[in-house]
Amino acid sequence: MSAIDARDVTKTFRAGWIRRRETRALRGVTLQVPRGAIFGLLGPNGAGKTTLLSILATLLVPDQGSVTVLGHDVVRDAAAVRRRLNMASGNASFLWSLRAEEIIAFYARLYGLSGRRLARRVDDLVELCELSEYRRVLYNELSTGLKQRLALAKSLVNDPELLFLDEPTLGLDPDISVRMRQRIAALRRERGMTIVLTTHYMREAEELCDKIAFIKGGRILAAGTAAELKRQIGIGDVIALRLDPAAVPWLAEAPGVLRCVESDGRVECTVDDAEKRLPELLRALHAEGIVVRDVQVTEPDLEEVFVELAR
Amino acid sequence: MSWRAELVATWAFALRSLLMASRNVFFFFELLFWPVVGVLSIGLMTRFLHLGSPETSFVLIGTIALSTVTVCQLEVAYAVLYDVWSKSMKHQFLAPIGVRHLTTGSWLVGTGRGLLVFVILAVLARYAFGFDVLAAGGPGLATFLLGCFLTAWVVGVFVCTLVMQFGTRAEASAWASVNLVLVLAGIYYPVSILPGPVAALAAAVPLTYFLDAYRTHYGFAAEFAYPLTTGLALSAVYLALSHWSLIAAIERARRTGQLLKMSG
Repeated sequence: MSAIDARDVTKTFRAGWIRRRETRALRGVTLQVPRGAIFGLLGPNGAGKTTLLSILATLLVPDQGSVTVLGHDVVRDAAAVRRRLNMASGNASFLWSLRAEEIIAFYARLYGLSGRRLARRVDDLVELCELSEYRRVLYNELSTGLKQRLALAKSLVNDPELLFLDEPTLGLDPDISVRMRQRIAALRRERGMTIVLTTHYMREAEELCDKIAFIKGGRILAAGTAAELKRQIGIGDVIALRLDPAAVPWLAEAPGVLRCVESDGRVECTVDDAEKRLPELLRALHAEGIVVRDVQVTEPDLEEVFVELAR
Repeated sequence: MSWRAELVATWAFALRSLLMASRNVFFFFELLFWPVVGVLSIGLMTRFLHLGSPETSFVLIGTIALSTVTVCQLEVAYAVLYDVWSKSMKHQFLAPIGVRHLTTGSWLVGTGRGLLVFVILAVLARYAFGFDVLAAGGPGLATFLLGCFLTAWVVGVFVCTLVMQFGTRAEASAWASVNLVLVLAGIYYPVSILPGPVAALAAAVPLTYFLDAYRTHYGFAAEFAYPLTTGLALSAVYLALSHWSLIAAIERARRTGQLLKMSG
């Protein structure tokens, strides 16, 4: 059973009384997220990532389409959905005059926690997000990194089955980003949480996500695992060979080879799938008596997929 | 939602209001400075004009009501304004709470703060101008205060509605609307002196009736029949209407994206 099942979701924002302006944020988005997965939503600014996330989290009502989250319709049964999910934003903001622990406790009370259960939950989250030293510090005195950690702690107050993370590492220093990603991975590993995250960072998506959807202009252009996306886009893996003799004319025609370029005495073959094609190529070269002096395989990273799709 | 969860969610908003109030200097001015300045200046004016005891009581009742209602109403409006100012609106509406938790929690704190203002001003009026709030007796005073706090609740929730609808553009209404209501309710004068159409509007304000009922204890004839019943009935109707309008405004904000615009 899917944690999220969204079909043909559309959303248009309208503004202005006299000169009406319309922005079509989502144009028929269909998406399924399996339970227990970390699902990444990638896309350039204004692609519709936050709009989609907000609809899934019941903060926005879709114009058309159906959205089922954890078996509940997000429009008709929003209250039931809200009990079981939570969200943290990269640019989170909370009341300036409250202490870190008071912010966590405030949101925990909204889910009915009180007394010892509340105190224990606050302590656990403070510890989990390494906020012990800062629990009595006012929100507006916290650094950006601490605010992000607090946002993550707040998003776990109800021990959600489904967690939305909107740009969770936005503006963080690299070392803090790495720890944040480790924490996110641990949440799924230890609690079996389904996590949907939006990000601009390809490395983050590649490292964390089981599946990724690329969204642009309110449409999902591609979805799948990182490897599947690379294959879908057809930018391929690169096999660089140093051969003796250097020129092998038939290489470009070999099965699965998309193109071949010769430079600095090396032949760079772009293939659809290096894992499958490399043994075939080596066998064929050996059969022709060509000596292979060096082989290097490079897989394209998601960054290249992003650039390709964002064009 | 269980009763326990209902109470805990309401308490969450009450505690948040209390914490915010205790850490902001501005709240000290709201609680003490402006109300005390108001009663002193109006009280001294009654001396300058050589007003008799009943007239002085009439005006001071209005002045004390003004401060009490304002402080309580602002607390209710802050329930939404805090989140607008801190851009944290979406987080509370992501939780399975209702409008009732938000408004009741903040109203309870507003009632406490309003009561404190009332006591301070009552003591000041007693010793500076010889005006005794207890002359109306316990039940008379209690119903008057209830009327003040119900009116504050209604106005506060309508302000929350405007803020949800128009965002920060509507925040001035938190300070403006209560003054409009109080002018209509006749804080310094009987509503009978208002021009016809304005008097009709005054008759639609619950506080008008509570002021009328309270002033009868100070020697003034009632302007309305059954003022307490009418005031309570109007308050109940407006409370229902204001909460319905706030729920509708939040639903609209979920449709238009206003909820996200007011969040970080």
